[in-house]
Amino acid sequence: MKTIFFTGKGGVGKSTLAATLAWQLSQAGNNVLAVSFDPAHNLGDIFGKRLSHRKKRITDTLYLQEADLDKAAGTYIEENIGILTQIYSYTRAFNLDVYFKVLRHSPGVEEYAAVTTMEQIFREERTFDYIVFDTPPTGLALRILALPNITITWVDRLRRIRRQILEKRYTIHNISGKYIEKGVRLPFEEKEDPVMQRLEILFKRYMNLYKMLKGAENTIAVVFNPDYLSLRESQRIVTGLSDLQLPLRVAFDNKFTPEQQEVACEVEQQLFPGTDHVDVVRVPMHGYAREGAYQMSFDLTKHFVP
Amino acid sequence: MTTLIVLVGVAVYVGLYFTYGRKLETGVVKASNENATPAHRLFDGVDYVPAKTPVLFGHHFASVAGAAPIVGPVLAMAWGWVPALAWIWFGNIFIGAVHDYLSVMASVRYDGRSVQFVASDLITKRTGKLFYYLVFFLLILVVGAFSAVLGGMFVANAAVPSAYIFKIVGALILGVLMYRTKLPFVVSTIIGIIMLIVAIWLGTVAPINLSRNAWFLIMFFYIIIAAAIPVNVLLQPRDYLNSWLLYFGLAIGALAAIFSFQGFTAPAFTSFSPIVSAGKPSPFWPVIPLIIACGSLSGFHALVGSGTTSKQLTSEKAGLPIGYGAMLFEGFLSTVVVIAVAGFGLQLMTDAGQAISAADWGSRYTPAMMATYPSAAMFSNSYAAMVATTWLNFIPRDIVVVIAGMWVASFAMTTLDTTNRLARYTLAELFLPLQTKSEGVYKFFTNRWIASLIPAGIGIWLGWSGSFSMLWPSFGSANQLIASIALLTGTAWVAKRLKTKATIALIPAYLLWITVTAAIIWFSAVVLPTTIANNPATGIVVLVIEIVMLIMNIVFIIDFLKTRNLPAPAETEA
Amino acid sequence: MSHGGKNRVIRRALEVIRSFFSTMSMAHRQQVVELTTLEMRELENMFVLLLMGSFTGLPAPPSFISVELMPYLEHELKVVNRRAENSSDALAEMAGFFDVT
Repeated sequence: MKTIFFTGKGGVGKSTLAATLAWQLSQAGNNVLAVSFDPAHNLGDIFGKRLSHRKKRITDTLYLQEADLDKAAGTYIEENIGILTQIYSYTRAFNLDVYFKVLRHSPGVEEYAAVTTMEQIFREERTFDYIVFDTPPTGLALRILALPNITITWVDRLRRIRRQILEKRYTIHNISGKYIEKGVRLPFEEKEDPVMQRLEILFKRYMNLYKMLKGAENTIAVVFNPDYLSLRESQRIVTGLSDLQLPLRVAFDNKFTPEQQEVACEVEQQLFPGTDHVDVVRVPMHGYAREGAYQMSFDLTKHFVP
Repeated sequence: MTTLIVLVGVAVYVGLYFTYGRKLETGVVKASNENATPAHRLFDGVDYVPAKTPVLFGHHFASVAGAAPIVGPVLAMAWGWVPALAWIWFGNIFIGAVHDYLSVMASVRYDGRSVQFVASDLITKRTGKLFYYLVFFLLILVVGAFSAVLGGMFVANAAVPSAYIFKIVGALILGVLMYRTKLPFVVSTIIGIIMLIVAIWLGTVAPINLSRNAWFLIMFFYIIIAAAIPVNVLLQPRDYLNSWLLYFGLAIGALAAIFSFQGFTAPAFTSFSPIVSAGKPSPFWPVIPLIIACGSLSGFHALVGSGTTSKQLTSEKAGLPIGYGAMLFEGFLSTVVVIAVAGFGLQLMTDAGQAISAADWGSRYTPAMMATYPSAAMFSNSYAAMVATTWLNFIPRDIVVVIAGMWVASFAMTTLDTTNRLARYTLAELFLPLQTKSEGVYKFFTNRWIASLIPAGIGIWLGWSGSFSMLWPSFGSANQLIASIALLTGTAWVAKRLKTKATIALIPAYLLWITVTAAIIWFSAVVLPTTIANNPATGIVVLVIEIVMLIMNIVFIIDFLKTRNLPAPAETEA
Repeated sequence: MSHGGKNRVIRRALEVIRSFFSTMSMAHRQQVVELTTLEMRELENMFVLLLMGSFTGLPAPPSFISVELMPYLEHELKVVNRRAENSSDALAEMAGFFDVT
């Protein structure tokens, strides 16, 4: 199973290229799933279909899905609030459960919803040969892609502290365990500590995700236009991906026309000065309307299939 | 005589515990088991957990016991054994133990908050802040005084530091056994005790002879390192071994005192102002509280009471045995010390070639003692001499000397490194106001190493350069200043919150305050000039500290008197 | 005294001795882990502060980590509350643990 992420500023044609690639790969006989995280929901428009959070069969070899981050975030919060209000039942008495709902809009929830959806897809859709992702605009996309990395760092730190805590509890239990008079029984074995268990699960899960994102089976593609307007933001994406050490392998200079030759060269030079491991591809402007755009003749697949 | 005094001492303590103590309990504090203590009311399974009274007693006693109840009485013998015992018995019962008890009970009624908090609440906020300053000075001076004790003892008896080092090794091993293996606790305890005994024996077999300067240097590095090591590695196992040392030492000492049947060779009373501090005649009043602190009265106990004790007290009636009783028990310890020196000190000093007799004891005791068996060494040798006259003499005498010496050394060394941990915190609190005004200075002084080096450095330097007979009362002055403030706070609590007759505490409190203030003035005016003449830097540092403390003391009494008739602020919910 | 009476006395005496030693044992065990307990509390305190940082303006982990772990941290939250209340009076806390005089 190979994965491809299309990143880029809004409006550069990212969704179109993602859709095109998905179509072309599926036509070549691969089982393809195309997923859009873009709240603009272009994917459905391009194929002229109404898509939902559940994958929809377009052909035998092509399935489409539009992740509803808002809904995912909502569900996640509801579940956890349920648990929290159960455990800290006094919060209901003071109407504090209302405040937990504020969490829904807390920074990071949207990213988290995206990452869990992504992770779920990685786990469950292994029968596909290719999964093509259409990412949301730059900021959110980078935050989503950075989340596994950040999570791993934090979870690892927390794990270490938790381990120290459990070690000390073990020492205390070992020496005076039987004799605690009215004390609370605290877990001291890693297996018995729900916090440690959750930290381990999180660590494994995000480590797997991180490895997958960094691995050889994953490719990140950047889409930009041959003009200065998109340059700044495209640079942000390139730098961000490099900071995260994620495999940016292909860059599409989309909507290229011969008149823009000079500008195009300039922009490409600025974005990828001497980085020869990025395959810079000029995609010519095509005259297709939004719907049906996936049927362009320019072959994208040869840049992804070895 | 030894036997008689022990029994009289026990009778006095026990008798007055049940009469005077009870009167305090029911008449003044009005302790009642009907009032739920914070341990139950605020139970959280974390800090507020009721503890069994005997266990809590042990904990409280271990926190207040130290090397001071031993060293102080040795120095106080210059006045003769009657004045010394009078202060140890009656100063303890009517002032010291009252001070401890009121501090604990006030803390209990204030939901486990400290005396410092009570002072901020009932007197002024400024008073609360004072405690930090005074504690900081106390921490420096206690390092000075105790390092001087240790320096003198290590040189006088090279077996003691050697035994101590072997004990440290034993503690390290015990730490591994207790915390890293699954060995049953009883087994590791037994191994620990065996290692302790072996360490003492090894000390006599392989003494370590170093110069005084070398020992001071070693102590300095020891403080810095020990305060930085994880507690499981050294601190906890070492403190555990110390408790067993305490049991043995106390048991042997008490038995020896009872079965010794010796007369006292030291005079009952020498003069009102024998030579005690820095070669100067020292009047019994007001100087005695500076000489005998723990064992009779100690300001630091006021803070100890509110740390764990008040939060874990299971019933208000348990406050008396723990708060009042532990102090009396410490007094008993000091009684044994006086008995030992009174019975055997003279012989020791004359055997060592000193020209001293009961007649000129007043003028000769302190110099003779410092020349032959300085401070703690006088105790350990008198103790050994006492044990040797009883059926306990199957224990070789030089082993007994080391036992007693180790007893003092262990507690004194513990003081050295724990004060450092505490000093770091106090320093940070004191410099807090500077945080916004002068961040650079704040950052400098609260840096981990600087904050550790400053109190340790100053303390060790004082101990090295100053004379013990000057340093000990200076430590006493800081300690007792805290005591007088704490006791006055206690009376404020009784008057304002309990609204019972506070006279029973107020009179001793005022007397104490006057005494301590007079003592500090005397000390600064009479003793320190000599010190400044001999060691200007040392003398001036101590003088500055004394003056600053005196000023704070005046500020305090002004605040106290000003707010004396004000009603207590409205009860705020904790 | 009858045999029964003597037995009773002996049994009571043994009981007293046993309870004395068990109390001593308990006291020792607590003593030997006292500072470890203190350290553990501080770590628990730190753990929660790291997690809840976002609610107090400290740099914090992604909030979902906090949300997922919070249900299991009731004890630790108590510790934090207790610490926060006692922080103004820490001198007293520490004076009890450190053997100064």
